[in-house]
Amino acid sequence: MLKKYLSFTVLALFVLLSFSCDEVAPVLNPGGNGPNEDVPVEDQMRQVLIEEFTGVRCVNCPAGSEAIEVLLNTYGQQLVAVSIHAGFFAVPYPESDGELENAVGSSLLSLLGEPLGYPTAVVNRKRFDGEENRQIGQSSWPGYIAQELVGDPAVKIDIIPTYNEVTRELALDVDLYVEEDVTADDLRLTVFITESNIKDPQLTPAGTDYEYTHKHALRGAVTAFDGSTLSETFTAGAVVSRSYTTTLPSLWNANECHIVAFVHQGGSTLDVIQAHQVDVVE
Amino acid sequence: MKCYAYIIILLGSLCTSYTLSAQEQGGRLSGSLETNANFFIRDSLIGAANTPQYDRQLFGSEGWLNLNYSNWGFDIGLRYDFFNNSNLLNPTGSYTDQGIGMWYVRKSIKKLGFEAGYIYDQVGSGIIFRSFEQRPLLIDNALYGLKLDYQLSDNWNIKGFTGRQKQQFDTYASVIRGLNLEGYVQGDSLGTWSIAPGFGVVARTLDDGSMNNLVATLNTYPTEDLFIPNYNSYAFTLYNTLSAGIFSWYVEGAYKTEDAMNDPFGEIQRGDNITIGDKFINEAGTVLYSSLSIAPPKWGITLEAKRTENFSFRTRPQSQLNRGLVNFLPPMARINTYRLTARYNAATQDLAELAYQVDVSYAPNRKVSFNANYSHIDDLDGVKLYREVFTEVQYKHKKLWKLTSGVQVQNYNQERYEFKPQVPIVETVIPYFDFLYKLDRNHNFRFEAQYMLTGDDEKAGAKQDYGDWAFALLEVSLGRSWTLVASDMFNIDPGKNSPVDDSGKKQSLHYPRFDVYYTTGPTRLALSYVKQVEGVVCTGGICRLEPAFSGVKFSANTSF
Repeated sequence: MLKKYLSFTVLALFVLLSFSCDEVAPVLNPGGNGPNEDVPVEDQMRQVLIEEFTGVRCVNCPAGSEAIEVLLNTYGQQLVAVSIHAGFFAVPYPESDGELENAVGSSLLSLLGEPLGYPTAVVNRKRFDGEENRQIGQSSWPGYIAQELVGDPAVKIDIIPTYNEVTRELALDVDLYVEEDVTADDLRLTVFITESNIKDPQLTPAGTDYEYTHKHALRGAVTAFDGSTLSETFTAGAVVSRSYTTTLPSLWNANECHIVAFVHQGGSTLDVIQAHQVDVVE
Repeated sequence: MKCYAYIIILLGSLCTSYTLSAQEQGGRLSGSLETNANFFIRDSLIGAANTPQYDRQLFGSEGWLNLNYSNWGFDIGLRYDFFNNSNLLNPTGSYTDQGIGMWYVRKSIKKLGFEAGYIYDQVGSGIIFRSFEQRPLLIDNALYGLKLDYQLSDNWNIKGFTGRQKQQFDTYASVIRGLNLEGYVQGDSLGTWSIAPGFGVVARTLDDGSMNNLVATLNTYPTEDLFIPNYNSYAFTLYNTLSAGIFSWYVEGAYKTEDAMNDPFGEIQRGDNITIGDKFINEAGTVLYSSLSIAPPKWGITLEAKRTENFSFRTRPQSQLNRGLVNFLPPMARINTYRLTARYNAATQDLAELAYQVDVSYAPNRKVSFNANYSHIDDLDGVKLYREVFTEVQYKHKKLWKLTSGVQVQNYNQERYEFKPQVPIVETVIPYFDFLYKLDRNHNFRFEAQYMLTGDDEKAGAKQDYGDWAFALLEVSLGRSWTLVASDMFNIDPGKNSPVDDSGKKQSLHYPRFDVYYTTGPTRLALSYVKQVEGVVCTGGICRLEPAFSGVKFSANTSF
């Protein structure tokens, strides 16, 4: 009998110890604090790249795009967004802009991995602890962006565009200011052109919206889709420069185009070190 | 990896060093092997395209080798898993990895038992906790930790467990712990009635990474949608089975404390702009579930009812679809097996569902039997989610032939189950029959046919979804070893979502399938050529949307 009471006492203690109720709650800090205007390169903070994979036939993707706009409002210049139309849901409608889905986007999907579902995005091309792959669901974007924004940039990026409206030729000077030693074996620079405010069909929860506004849509890459190799030694104080020239196709609205440049690792790591964006026409 | 290597060495040593003595002492080594290989043949017309396998990899495979050894009062086991460009984890993705997918050590010492490693178990019917494996969907929610159980008396047991949930070859960071007390009480000395009550509690402590991520997301919400999330959430359940003569009545009530959950149809309003999509909510949840079985002579009657409110219980709120499930909510619709009757499935809704199901079977004699089933599923706002009437009559003529036939009528809320916007509730009527003829003990053939009549989508000016289907299957068994199957699913009257040709005309496509099965003892080999339309695939009440498949499949299963 004594043994039975002892057993129940131990059990009751176990339950009480295991299922106690008090805990210190986390602190919320809503609202944004990122710079909304261009800052000189010397004042540049850590800037994070988010590559959203989307498709015109993806009904939930407008919610993802909206979430990215909220994040851009929150983090300002510290967040650089690229929307990539690729994969299962990106098959164009007959009325679609022929270049929303493009070969660069498909190559990037292969490089960064297929998502489980949409909306999905890759943040700084990192595979975060606890995630199946680099693609992460919308509800996790803010956390990983916040995590990536911690610290100072190892490299600061300056982009100086010169655009000729007549020839539609775009000349780019990209300067990389190395703030601290970067020891990665395979460093690369990737430069994309994106375009905002493209009116084109999109499936939405209310049906197909033929005048949907697509933002930050990836139009093409000035470098190779997986970047150009940076063979220089990245020691603190060094400046690495690259120049590129490209001609914008007539379909693209230069006034809505952006240049996105980011330094990242190659090989199997792919992690982005710093990203930056400027408009083609300032 | 060091840990895995150690386990392999440990188990290997146990198995090899003691093989002879084990045999002498009655040790037993058993196991099973299951493997699948898929050869992908791109067919963009049916949507079998734009995945790594169709575009470049062309081949994918997965396999599981399970080994169990028992001796000296110990049960030990491990499972080797491999995935090579597999689309099982993510139907549109590719997954490659291999390693020890599971191991365990079990032992009983008088009234105390323990199990360490990857634990598969459940509390009650699984409403607050169930760790399980469903290979067709690559769900493996084993709890990686420790379980203790203690026999309090002849009829009362208690068990406690703690660990982290398996995530492929890793674990989620959140910690799960639980306690379960179960008993059995016989009502009288004649055994005319008895009860089997139980109580369980399960808690999940959110890891810091998941909490930080959750807080960062909440920081982007409008003020009116903000909430302070809890690290710890608790789920309690009380259940009982009353057995009395022909009656068996199971009832379970579960409550979960406030917990951050993802609402895939959440609304976030910023100014005049309302966005519908993923949104975290913080609510307490409840589930009430009951099942009554009555089995008078010749009859079998089952009544089930369930009410679910805010009972998504996951290792972390960011997990979606079939990832990170701590619990299992029983499905409230019949699990159908015929190709067309199984095309539309009612996946369990964990945030809001009110459902009941009635199943009646009657067998007046050995020749004839009848079965009827009705499923009724709404959400808590009264929105119709699913209706199904299923009837079946079976007639056996001696041991020579058997005919099974019936009709299924379905209403399926495709907008809710498949996230397809602005589509009407799919209405289907499916007559079917299945005829089996035995030529002799080892040779028989079977023919089945089904026809799906689908309702009209007036807005689209077409039949709903893929429209009408016809299906036919012929199966021939040649001796004990060989079985040949040929079938075709034909989109006889294409609907709104059927593929179109270059001129925009809907196409009536065939989806043929040819299978060859070879069985010898416990070994079964299968080779199949498959064209399969996209659809929702469910296993054990858990469903996911699978894209179309085109290619060749090979599978091998054996046990020893």
